[in-house]
Amino acid sequence: MPYLADLERAGIPTVLIGFDDQDEFLKQEALTIGVPKLRYIHGSRTMRGPADVDSFLDSMFDGLTRPLTAEEKETGMWSPQEPRILFEGTLEEAEELYMQAEKLPGLLNATYARYTDGLPIVVPTEERVEAMLKGTSHDPKELITLHKDMEGYVAPEAIGSEPMMKKGDAVRYMPMRRTATVEQVAVNAVMAGCKPEYLPVVLAIAEASAGTGDGRDGQGFIVSGPIAEEIGMNFGFGLLGPGNPANKTIARTCNLMWRNLGGAIPTVTVTSNWGDNPAVNGGFCIAEYADGLPKEWKGLNEEYGYKKDESIIMTTHPGSFGMGQHFMPGVYRALQKDGHGAMARYLDVKGVPGPHNWLEYLSVGMWAAREGGVTLMMVPEMAQHLVDIGFKSKDDVYEWIWKKSFEPVKQYRMRGAPDFATNGWRSIERTSGKPWLELDPDYMVPAGGNSPRNNLVLICGGDEETCHRFGGGHGAAFSIDAWH
Amino acid sequence: MAEGRKIYKCLNPAGMQVPVNTFPLAPRLDSLDGKTIHLSICGEPDITIPLERKLKAEYTNINWTVKKTYGIDPNRISEEEMKTTDGTILGVCW
Repeated sequence: MPYLADLERAGIPTVLIGFDDQDEFLKQEALTIGVPKLRYIHGSRTMRGPADVDSFLDSMFDGLTRPLTAEEKETGMWSPQEPRILFEGTLEEAEELYMQAEKLPGLLNATYARYTDGLPIVVPTEERVEAMLKGTSHDPKELITLHKDMEGYVAPEAIGSEPMMKKGDAVRYMPMRRTATVEQVAVNAVMAGCKPEYLPVVLAIAEASAGTGDGRDGQGFIVSGPIAEEIGMNFGFGLLGPGNPANKTIARTCNLMWRNLGGAIPTVTVTSNWGDNPAVNGGFCIAEYADGLPKEWKGLNEEYGYKKDESIIMTTHPGSFGMGQHFMPGVYRALQKDGHGAMARYLDVKGVPGPHNWLEYLSVGMWAAREGGVTLMMVPEMAQHLVDIGFKSKDDVYEWIWKKSFEPVKQYRMRGAPDFATNGWRSIERTSGKPWLELDPDYMVPAGGNSPRNNLVLICGGDEETCHRFGGGHGAAFSIDAWH
Repeated sequence: MAEGRKIYKCLNPAGMQVPVNTFPLAPRLDSLDGKTIHLSICGEPDITIPLERKLKAEYTNINWTVKKTYGIDPNRISEEEMKTTDGTILGVCW
């Protein structure tokens, strides 16, 4: 829509075809781009195309020719101000205020929280926020900005962020394109139940746009580096489950930042049908088990240009958990110890002791539900087995997985998302350098993204021989230490 | 005084809305006859294919220009093209 604003400002009348259920969203978006009276008409989600066109054609032409109303000719400044102090009163009164919810027509009159994720919060009193701010040396009034240039979107599927951002650019929180200070991030961290020592992680997540979006929100974050252990994150048994304050409260802050920094309100400012990525519902922040890495492999921090003693967060967009063939830990042990069981039968190594390449088994059907890079969350023992059979670096694993994802063009063209990603198959296929539509149907192309580096290996978990995995690729790495 | 009765100042978790200069819409056209209208297509071929077909077949008094993408970021017209474009229709949604 910013394009339409540019055209209108240049004196070119425009009309937008949208859907009627997105009116509120379009109204908000038009306001934030500075053309609040942008004209739009409705297409149909269900009517057949020719009949649909007939139904809106008159209003479409009308949008270009109907004289402007007085309101449509207005200029002005939209500058809503939020007070720093939201409320003064007792804690009980404050709890009531912060936890208020209102009925939303777009949610079939279900209630939606004004300041929270729907759960009880810790009231962010001035004293508590001040205590939280002791977790960083940064000035409370400092704007959250990028610490380095970013080429490409800062996070996968981060619709709304600019594809090119420079060091020092203010991070804009979608959907309302707001900015935030260190203090405002700290307020949300208090509300989520974070401790001051978690704040640098939360601020790094805020620098990464905090998973906010206009509909395709819901990023997950992985911490790599010494801070994970220092603040007591769980990167072992049960790391995705309940009970760890750091994992849970840091992750929860993302939801609060999307609500409060970004101004997310479904059907009003965001279009997300499900509200969030199911895999990250309630927040998703886990950590790497650095001491569990095989000695030949690097942690995510070193992989992405930082030192071993530096801490970072990696942005991901977890989805499609459970991709590939499933196996129980005992089946895995049977394979590697003595060459028994289903995995041994599949790999045709019956009776042959391991280590064997278990990725051969896991990768069957890995891209059946979703193309693109995958993140493998593997326990140390399984990572060591990969090293022992020749994967001397994670890059070797990435390369192997990527090559495994190749499939014929005729199969790849049945996938839904590439209709968009290839611009209707009008673009150039990367491995061949040829237009998609000129490729032989049997030509092999990667379903696993454009590069082996779309993949990620995370060492974590307990001792049970399992490999969790999710699709969605990953984005950039952000320094946590920069926010100490 | 019990903690529950103490008065606290509580901070606002909302982000800051960057001030936006709001602009009027561009003047509308008196008529579409002889005008150059640009059709900026973003996906939704079920709508945009019959739309383009119908416009070009039945509204020959208008000079139609078209740019297409399957994605959500429209293919923009250039500064030069803007000089000769009288109006733009963008669909769907983005």
